Amino acid sequence: MTQGMGLAPLIALGMAAVGTMVISPRASAFVVRGLAGLALVVALVLSLGSVGTGSSDLLAGDALARLGGALACLTGLAALAILRPATAPPEAPALILLATLGAAVLSGAVHAATLFLGLELVALSLIALTVLPRTGPALEAGYKLLVLGGLGAAMLLMGLALGYAETGDLALASWAAPGQLAALGAALLLAGLAFKFALVPFHMWTPDVFSGAPAAAALVAGVASKVAVAIVLVRLNAVMPSDGIWPTGLAVLGVASVLLGSLQALRQPSLPRMLGFSSIAHSGYVALILSAQMPAAPEAALFYIVAYAPALTAALAAAALAGDVATLTGLRGMAWTRPLAGAALAVALLSLAGLPAAVGFWAKFKLFTMLAQAGQTGLLAVAILGSALGLYFYLAFTLALFRRDGLEAPRKASPGELAVFLVAASLMLILGFYPAPLADLLAAVTFGR
Amino acid sequence: MALTLLILFPFLGGIFALLAGRAEPTAARIAAIVFLICGVLTLAWTFQHGDSGRWIMMTREPWAPMMGVNIILALDGLSFIMVALSLALGLLTVVLSWNATDRAPLLHATLCWTVAASNGVFLSFDLVLFAFFWELMLVPSFLLIAIWGHGEREAAAMKFLIFNAIAGLGLLAAVFWIGATGPTVSFDAFEVAERNIPVAAQVWLLLGFALAFMVKLPVPPFHAWLPDAHTQAPTVGSILLAGLLLKTGAYGLFRFPTMLFPEAMTLVAPFGLMLGAFGTIYGALVACGQTDAKRLVAYTSVAHMSVVLMGICGGVHFSLMGAGIVMVAHAFSASALFLLIGSIYDRVHTRDLRELGGLQRSAPRFAAAFALFFAATLAMPGTANFLGEALVITGMFQINWTYASITLVSLVVSVVYGTRMFQRIVFGTPRKTAVSVDLSLRELGPLIVLAIGTLMFGLLPQFLMVGLDPAVNTVVDSLRAVAP
Repeated sequence: MTQGMGLAPLIALGMAAVGTMVISPRASAFVVRGLAGLALVVALVLSLGSVGTGSSDLLAGDALARLGGALACLTGLAALAILRPATAPPEAPALILLATLGAAVLSGAVHAATLFLGLELVALSLIALTVLPRTGPALEAGYKLLVLGGLGAAMLLMGLALGYAETGDLALASWAAPGQLAALGAALLLAGLAFKFALVPFHMWTPDVFSGAPAAAALVAGVASKVAVAIVLVRLNAVMPSDGIWPTGLAVLGVASVLLGSLQALRQPSLPRMLGFSSIAHSGYVALILSAQMPAAPEAALFYIVAYAPALTAALAAAALAGDVATLTGLRGMAWTRPLAGAALAVALLSLAGLPAAVGFWAKFKLFTMLAQAGQTGLLAVAILGSALGLYFYLAFTLALFRRDGLEAPRKASPGELAVFLVAASLMLILGFYPAPLADLLAAVTFGR
Repeated sequence: MALTLLILFPFLGGIFALLAGRAEPTAARIAAIVFLICGVLTLAWTFQHGDSGRWIMMTREPWAPMMGVNIILALDGLSFIMVALSLALGLLTVVLSWNATDRAPLLHATLCWTVAASNGVFLSFDLVLFAFFWELMLVPSFLLIAIWGHGEREAAAMKFLIFNAIAGLGLLAAVFWIGATGPTVSFDAFEVAERNIPVAAQVWLLLGFALAFMVKLPVPPFHAWLPDAHTQAPTVGSILLAGLLLKTGAYGLFRFPTMLFPEAMTLVAPFGLMLGAFGTIYGALVACGQTDAKRLVAYTSVAHMSVVLMGICGGVHFSLMGAGIVMVAHAFSASALFLLIGSIYDRVHTRDLRELGGLQRSAPRFAAAFALFFAATLAMPGTANFLGEALVITGMFQINWTYASITLVSLVVSVVYGTRMFQRIVFGTPRKTAVSVDLSLRELGPLIVLAIGTLMFGLLPQFLMVGLDPAVNTVVDSLRAVAP
């Protein structure tokens, strides 16, 4: 029975995805969305409510997997809520469900097969979701995702193959084996995951997806997929030898991502592109935390990415609301014309900048503490430098929101978007003032890892 | 619990002001006033029910125990004075902006939140909690400048936040380093104080702390944000900047370096003295050349806060006591001057010294108020400013007569800028329109409170000195304990 409990959310998501896909050409958009939303809520309840720890060789049913599944469902709900009925293609809800399913599978993956399956499920539905509007920027973003993602997948497969050649086992837990092939395999595996996690130099697709693709696709790429990949990294981090190529590679990729991402974000006048580049920097911070190889690093890395999720969700939703004018000049005065959206975006930007009382402050706390504990002064200096740069570009946008010379008001937010703003902003503020529940939860989830 | 309420009341006041203001703007002001008065009453209660020992009151509550972070609040005489100051300035600014029409509920909420966050700074003894409030304080002040400021307010707000937040990263890194490298993950300042951190590490950590404090203070060369922020901020914003924010920097320097890193403080203090001596002269000289009245007062703040830095780095009883008194006295005098200049600006829309004049004829109450608070800025005997600066200079004579004479010279320079400004504003004939409407009751009330404060603490400093004494003694003792 415990076995079944672990799979229940996945079954719900998969069946709903097929169901919505079948009815989407005929049924009204409202029904399709309702079904998709219902399935996401059911899967959310199932992943939160199941107590069994039934695991198979392919999928873990542990607390970490359930947490990943729940976060994927929440992101899926947010993506569904910000879909615009007028412009969204009818297939979008089904694709969101598939991507959520992929992320849920990924967060439980303990085997090469499920790892690859989860990654590709997310990637393929993401590509479809990206190109469906058939506009120029969307197609460009889709091509980049397809080509670069394919390259990443190829490297990942090669890494898996080399690991298999060394150990003769496809389970991730057996890859601690020393050996040249295994080290090379680990490097390629890391490179493949770095594509999905948007680490420099495998980051090129991120800003294009954030600015060119529909907001729902950006949300899937920036939040659901990243949280799931972070969980995979956490699982692998526990397995990989602590002095090999894995931590070194993470540190190098992390430093490069923090510096390059922040520097490129500095001069972006467009909100989604700025978010794209800065998300590269945030991925870099997570990589830095993991490279510290401390016992508490998994918890800190998950805290960082979970704290990051509502901020990016709110910011992307606000960018979608502003549409073409989501720029430094176009966003002027948004706090006055659209108070809720403007306030949520302001809180999100403060959170990303790491200022209290948003939860981002605690993410920065975890990052700095972890690097200090590991005695990594150099990495700490890089993190401080990145945060200092980040202050500038986040605050420049925050400042624009409060200007009085606004040109035009963004369109009115739909009820779904309003809900996303409200939930994300209150999450950020509540956890900002009282971070204990999240810290306790993540410590419990990663206990003994 | 009472100490938590000191932070919570102003914070809730802001939230209620914002909510109530949606229906009725008057309700916002009343909510803000009521909650700030609740804060004052709580402070009075702590005084009544506090201990007579080193700490009047202390609170420990878990906050995020998994992260090693707890709510540790403690109140001693120094904190008491600072919290009282912050609540008083909060009330004063709400009264002053009573008739504000431009997004008034949000304005009153930001004022309350600034007070709440600075109360947090003055009470926190868990270093992460301290850093939390330290950074939190920047956000409402940023909004104050960015939304209600004059002229180039966006650039000024950005400069303010970038300078202070980047300097704050030094504090954050030092605090997190302390917590992470201890035997257990703990940020309890009292426990860290007994940890005997190696001196080399102490110096680096102290520099991280000092960076944040000196930028906030501000001491040249870290002062570049202040003239712009002060000039472009609205009147209430300038009052809170000068009266509260600069004081958090001074408070931090007063409290933490000697408590946590006494050995490093003895090594670094001579450089602090040098910076302070440079700052007093520099601030006073630059103030002499200003034509914008607000900018002039901003530079006098630089000079006076540099005196505070000298007093703290002097590390003897006289100089520390003097630094504490200058902190309070400057909060009164600078707030009052910003209030006066802001009121003039509201009437004739200029702050240019070359265009103002003739106040003594057209608006005698203005002239009288200016006379009093100029006297305070020049440290005339009878004002609290005099007492503070005199004590600092006395302390300097105990250490090094060079620094004492530099401070004396800066006093002379302050007479130059003070009389120049006084003469330009109060005497002569106005180049543009004269200030024909005298101070209103709403402006006069806060001014009278500030005037009483300046004179009372100048003539009867006993209250302040008794309050400051335990904190001053602690600093002196911990420095003496590590003296070679």
